[in-house]
Amino acid sequence: MSGNKKKKKITAGTVCNYAVLTLIAFICLYPFLNVIAYSLSGYNAVLSGKVTFYPIDFDLGAYRQILGKTQIWQAMRTTVIVTLAGTALSLILTIFSAYGLSREDLPGRKLLTGLILFTMYFGGGLIPTFLVVKGVGLYDSLGALFIPQAINVFNFIVMRTFFRSLPQSLEEAARIDGASYIKVLFKIVLPLSLPIIATIGLFYAVGYWNSYFDALLYIQDPSKYTLQLRLRSLLFGEELNNSGANLEGLGTQVMTQSLKMATVAVSTIPILVVYPWLQKYFVKGVMVGSVKG
Amino acid sequence: MQNKGKRKSMQHTLVKMWNYKWIYLMLLPVMAYYVVFKYIPMYGVTIAFKDYNVFKGVLGSPWCGLEVFQKIFKNHNFWQAIRNTMVLNLLTLLVSFPLTIIVSLMLNEVMSAKFKKITQSVLYLPHFISWVVVAGIATNLFSQQGGTVNQILSSAGISPIPFLSDKGWWIFTYVLCNVWKEIGWGTIIYLAALTGVDESLYEAAYLDGATKFQRLIYITIPSIKSVIVTMLILQISKMMTIGLDAPLLLGNKKVMGVSEVISTYTYRLGIESAKYSDSTAIGLFQSVINITILFAADKFAKAIGEDGII
Repeated sequence: MSGNKKKKKITAGTVCNYAVLTLIAFICLYPFLNVIAYSLSGYNAVLSGKVTFYPIDFDLGAYRQILGKTQIWQAMRTTVIVTLAGTALSLILTIFSAYGLSREDLPGRKLLTGLILFTMYFGGGLIPTFLVVKGVGLYDSLGALFIPQAINVFNFIVMRTFFRSLPQSLEEAARIDGASYIKVLFKIVLPLSLPIIATIGLFYAVGYWNSYFDALLYIQDPSKYTLQLRLRSLLFGEELNNSGANLEGLGTQVMTQSLKMATVAVSTIPILVVYPWLQKYFVKGVMVGSVKG
Repeated sequence: MQNKGKRKSMQHTLVKMWNYKWIYLMLLPVMAYYVVFKYIPMYGVTIAFKDYNVFKGVLGSPWCGLEVFQKIFKNHNFWQAIRNTMVLNLLTLLVSFPLTIIVSLMLNEVMSAKFKKITQSVLYLPHFISWVVVAGIATNLFSQQGGTVNQILSSAGISPIPFLSDKGWWIFTYVLCNVWKEIGWGTIIYLAALTGVDESLYEAAYLDGATKFQRLIYITIPSIKSVIVTMLILQISKMMTIGLDAPLLLGNKKVMGVSEVISTYTYRLGIESAKYSDSTAIGLFQSVINITILFAADKFAKAIGEDGII
């Protein structure tokens, strides 16, 4: 009898646990549902404030409008270019630094590693960096969006830790056969490191896709706006100028609510498309990174 | 004799360096990057001690000692930014830190692998969304006019809440958005630690008749204690830093009194008002405080027998 009772009690706790976790998952997901519901709802439904969970009076008008804007396509293109170029540059430099500094007996290794790690704790700050970027002629060019932040020290540490864990004997054998270090890197180390390269590549790509402050800081010409910066000016542009006062007619304001959410959806979809890979690799990356090298 | 040995070892080093020539060639662009974009700006902090003049540049501007610091320390806005940074960080920590651990423990109790996987996937998702998008969604949900939450409240007969335009409510919304974005992601490290807990301890406790709650208190939590302490120290060492995105994007003129943090203040002062020296001085002040806290936290961690964080 008492055993039975105990079992029942545990079940109640388990049910409660599942219920609360489901609720938390719902809270994490709901804002996205809200975005989709708004972006797909008809004008009058949004106006009357009926939209909460699902689209009412299904309408693709907002998407048609947003995808008809050349500004969005231009911004999308800029962001794709920056993401691809930035990820490529970041990966190359991170691989070079991690590979070079994973050689235990490299003369000067400690000094060079120290110089890199020190930048984690101290930096010039906003204005001195801004002045340097301006000084080397990157201001208002797309290069400013990835060259000044090409290497992330954390990613460097993760990759160096991985390179160190590779079996030394393979490399040594190749060295004895007369292969240069460059050959060893491309023929032996890189093929063995594809998972970590994918992980760190994704780290960088998501960072570039989502970053907006660098564009705010360095880009002047609206035709070079990135997606996030364009999104910001579409979402908050008017609000910033007239400090929240609702000067427009209510109708246009509500129309833009659908439009705004459609824009949010369009700029988030690429992230959602790669999300399954993101999740798989990122979790691994965090684990490797938490083992300090 | 000793000299000869020295010379020999130096020769040895030079030979080794020659062998590594390709490696050095690879490191060249890396080091060039660090010098140009990290170390030259570090020298640039000297403009915090200069009367910066755009035409004379960083090197040519005249020194002015601690004048800039004296000026900013007298400024009310500076102290306000410091206070806001600490208040927002502290409140976020107070809510998110225990909540992250609780959610991790709950996820750890889940037996169904499928349910666990789906829940985790959903919980990690907000981490990958940009702050611009989060702020856009938050505005749609919480604005006083036409915000979804206020519409639901008003249909329940509750008057609209100024989530984004009242200072107190804005802090609430800020903390909420931060917790929403990062809580799932924060569980990863605890879940990893939880998988490392020795199963036999649970079995022994079960045979001794320990309840589920007792097992949690006496086995699970002590087993991940060191991770909890390390994470807490790590979070505390970041008390004076807030990324600029969240406060800048969620904030507006009405709540500037609580949303202006050090990073947004240096941005507005430096870029919008072009007060380069003032902005740099504040950044430098913040860096020095950060390093001090970091070293203190590291010392503390080691003193209580945990791993250091540096």
